[in-house]
Amino acid sequence: MKRASKIYTALVMVFLFAPIAILLLFSFNESKSLSVFAGFSLKWYQELFRDGDTLESVKNTLILACSASAIATVMGTAASVGINKLRNKYVRASYDTVTNIPMTNPDIITGISLMLMFVFIGTRLGRSSSLSFWTLLISHVTFCLPYVILQVLPKLRQMDPSLPEAAMDLGCTPMQAFFKAVLPEIMPGIVTGMIMAFTMSLDDFVISYFTQGSGFQTLPIRIYGMTKKTVTPKMYALSTIIFFVILTLLLISNLTDEDGGKGSRRKAADAERARRARRILVPAAATVIIGLMVVLIVTGSGRTLTLNVYNWGEYISDGSEGSLDTIAEFEKWYEETYGVPVKVNYDTFASNEDMFAKLSGGAVAYDVVIPSDYTIARMLENDMLLPLNYSNIPNFQYIGEDFRNLYYDPENQYTVPYTYGIVGVIYNANVVDEADVGGWDLMWNEKYAGSILTFNNSRDAFGTAMYKLGLDVNTTDRAVWDRAAQELLAQKPILYGQVMDEIYNTMAAGEAAVATYYAGDYFTMVDSQADHVDLQFYYPERTNYFVDAMCIPTCCQNQELAEIFINFMLSREVAIANAEYIYYACPNSLVVEDEEYIEDMGEEAMEILYPEMESFREAYNTYAYRNLDPDTLGYISSLWEEIKIN
Amino acid sequence: MAERLIQLQNIHKQYGDKTVLENLNLYVKDKEFVTLLGPSGCGKTTTLRIIGGFESPDSGTVLFEGNDITDVPPHQRQVNTVFQRYALFPHLNVYDNIAFGLRIAKMPEEEIRERVTEMLQMINLTGYEKSPITKLSGGEQQRVAIARALVNHPRVLLLDEPLSALDLKLRKEMQRELKAIQQRVGITFVFVTHDQEEALTMSDTVVVLNKGRIQQIGSPTDIYNEPKNAFVADFIGESNILDGIMLEDKKVRFSGHTFDCVDGGFGRKEPVDVVVRPEDVDIVPREKGMLKGTITSVTFMGVHYEIIVDINGFKWMIQTTDFAPEGAEIGLYIEPDAIHIMKKSEYSGLYGDYSLDIDPEALDFDEEEDQDGAESEQAE
Repeated sequence: MKRASKIYTALVMVFLFAPIAILLLFSFNESKSLSVFAGFSLKWYQELFRDGDTLESVKNTLILACSASAIATVMGTAASVGINKLRNKYVRASYDTVTNIPMTNPDIITGISLMLMFVFIGTRLGRSSSLSFWTLLISHVTFCLPYVILQVLPKLRQMDPSLPEAAMDLGCTPMQAFFKAVLPEIMPGIVTGMIMAFTMSLDDFVISYFTQGSGFQTLPIRIYGMTKKTVTPKMYALSTIIFFVILTLLLISNLTDEDGGKGSRRKAADAERARRARRILVPAAATVIIGLMVVLIVTGSGRTLTLNVYNWGEYISDGSEGSLDTIAEFEKWYEETYGVPVKVNYDTFASNEDMFAKLSGGAVAYDVVIPSDYTIARMLENDMLLPLNYSNIPNFQYIGEDFRNLYYDPENQYTVPYTYGIVGVIYNANVVDEADVGGWDLMWNEKYAGSILTFNNSRDAFGTAMYKLGLDVNTTDRAVWDRAAQELLAQKPILYGQVMDEIYNTMAAGEAAVATYYAGDYFTMVDSQADHVDLQFYYPERTNYFVDAMCIPTCCQNQELAEIFINFMLSREVAIANAEYIYYACPNSLVVEDEEYIEDMGEEAMEILYPEMESFREAYNTYAYRNLDPDTLGYISSLWEEIKIN
Repeated sequence: MAERLIQLQNIHKQYGDKTVLENLNLYVKDKEFVTLLGPSGCGKTTTLRIIGGFESPDSGTVLFEGNDITDVPPHQRQVNTVFQRYALFPHLNVYDNIAFGLRIAKMPEEEIRERVTEMLQMINLTGYEKSPITKLSGGEQQRVAIARALVNHPRVLLLDEPLSALDLKLRKEMQRELKAIQQRVGITFVFVTHDQEEALTMSDTVVVLNKGRIQQIGSPTDIYNEPKNAFVADFIGESNILDGIMLEDKKVRFSGHTFDCVDGGFGRKEPVDVVVRPEDVDIVPREKGMLKGTITSVTFMGVHYEIIVDINGFKWMIQTTDFAPEGAEIGLYIEPDAIHIMKKSEYSGLYGDYSLDIDPEALDFDEEEDQDGAESEQAE
């Protein structure tokens, strides 16, 4: 028995701490590899501290966690006192249950329902965007509250109920009695509750994801955005730091909780130490909170302009690994040029459909968004875009002729192309026979059953089947879509999975052998591929051409600033930095004609990204996705759901 | 009116359906030691809390030196309380606990030190200033609680069963100490207890409460010697309570015998309750007894024996220093002034027969009929 329990304990420890130990180890890894430890280095930590946006999100998270936990602590303590005073035990029990609901409720439901409420109230009040820092704060207070009550209420119940009476008997007003007699007794509970609330707020992702507004990104959401493609060791460094911060907080909370209730059983010295710790901790916590609030107010009031940008994840050069920090650069350049400080809030989305849903719901407001062609068409149909003033965007002249006046914006009044690309097939040459390579058939080849990846969005997935069969990807004929759906159903049994950005890690690690994705991303995979993997790429004969373009949604608060930003993105140095970082083809002649860019990219990349073709416009017009009527879109998504379920 | 320091008039208090206090009228004189005595749930603590200001009556008024203080909050009343579980502040040490009230009153630290030191001397805890409360024994905590209240020089000290948590020996000691403190500081004490012995030893006046009503108010000797009804007679000390008929003044008939007594003023042939204290009954040879019976049990109590005698099915308790063996046929002799006559009340017939009061351990050896009776009645 004894040995069994020892083994059990050891196993628990291993599973709990081994991952963290590995995380810690690799955060100090000289190389980027996940398999080889190339030597001790602090470079990921250095890089982390150079990453302005991440540090900003750390600051945001701390401000949020401090204010949310402080408010929740005050409210929760007051609520506990109230609940404790209730005489009727049924009423009290129901209060208990009600306050516990947010704790047992799945986060996702809390998040969605809070967002719905904010948007509902916001639109009633006629706000252009309902979600902001304040809605995020309210949400965090909401889910932190039960944790505080859970800690404080038992302390109140343990307390001799005549303590406050004794204080009043000795001349205290009821208020004084609370502060002088009750508060010191329940302080351990309050401190523990506050620390719990703080840690809950600190690492909340789900609720924040639904209730955050534009421009206030918390750390978990930032990390989620950053890890969509490949996980950089910078994240290990950050996770390691967070782990130790939380660990310290927990230790402190345990230390303070040891006192209280068991006073007589504890050694006096222990109690004294805990009391002293509490005496230091409480003012310290208060100071930190007040300090951060001051920082929030000062920095908040100091900025005169804000620009909210909404882009795909990993779709801008962000200063990591020595690249140009586009956003920081813009802020610096703008202030130098116009003498007015500007703050750019940069948020990311995972798919066109997500972005469309969030923007059309009126939940958030952005000044610049970068969707794909068919979504731009859809947004225009819904009057969601503003016509641009091209005199503010002189750099538009460098956009190649082929990329202007495309179908989604025939007069070119609303958009400025950012990147373009072609969908291709990626395969692991160490697994796939050269003879099988060439067309879409590889994606249906039973030889590679179980290691094929396809898109996890309806339009792109249907595209693969339709190109394969030579069907029109923009048809409104339901029979044609049915045919494509059959093809996808036939492919389903041999799939490894339907994925979006998860493709990077799966392919780079060699877990899957065949996949289809956007050309530029192939290079990102190659960069991080494992030793036994040899990724190769080709375009099937018929495939999708796409353009992502910058545009300004109608909820924009400062159109001129947005246009200046778009123009800045087209300027030589910035455009090159972005093109090199993203690896997508660039429609900007300043980039494609630049010697250094061509050299940096290398021959192979240039060949793949810019394949020889007679006319991009013609290929694009033949193969690009168009926006379809809502009926057809609805039919496609019902087919898609069927495929996903089967 | 100065003599009547506190006056409760027509106090009524109800919790839900339960009436806790019913038309309660009571006054407390200055510098008096008053005890509210009664079984648990009789309303004594509620009465105390109404005086302290922690409860407000549903109707009725509380007067302090003739002024209505019914709605005055506790912190503005000139009374201090010693709570049942002391309610000392665990986060403060002895000194700070005692100084608490003075600090709230914003007294200069210098004066506080003087007063606290004086108090510590009085309660014999000099040198304990810095001790945490949790390290003190029950008796020490008790004394700190008293000091914490008295240091404010209240006009009245309210004590809510302050000794109930102490063991017997310590309780006796604290009883003496409390009485001594009360005489030294010369203020009014209102003391709540369910322990009749405690009430008798310490009080100037005892107020016996039951079911939210005052049963009797009087000095300890009055209460003991002249109980007003069967409840008081039974609750204060031991009593044999019998149904009797007042034949005429100073003649009462019970247990089939007519006795001379000292009470009068009842109607002719009026049914009454007769109280005879166990220590006032003498055991005599059967032929000399006014009443004749059989001894059913004898218990040695140290100073005396407790003897249960069956007389025509009614079990008497007798306390005597003379031994008589179980089973002996004996006679009882009662002096006229040992017989106390009470008017019939709602409590008549409920108390005073010791056939109900059998030691459970003795049950096994007893006859079966006794056992049944004992069980059903003890379940109450």
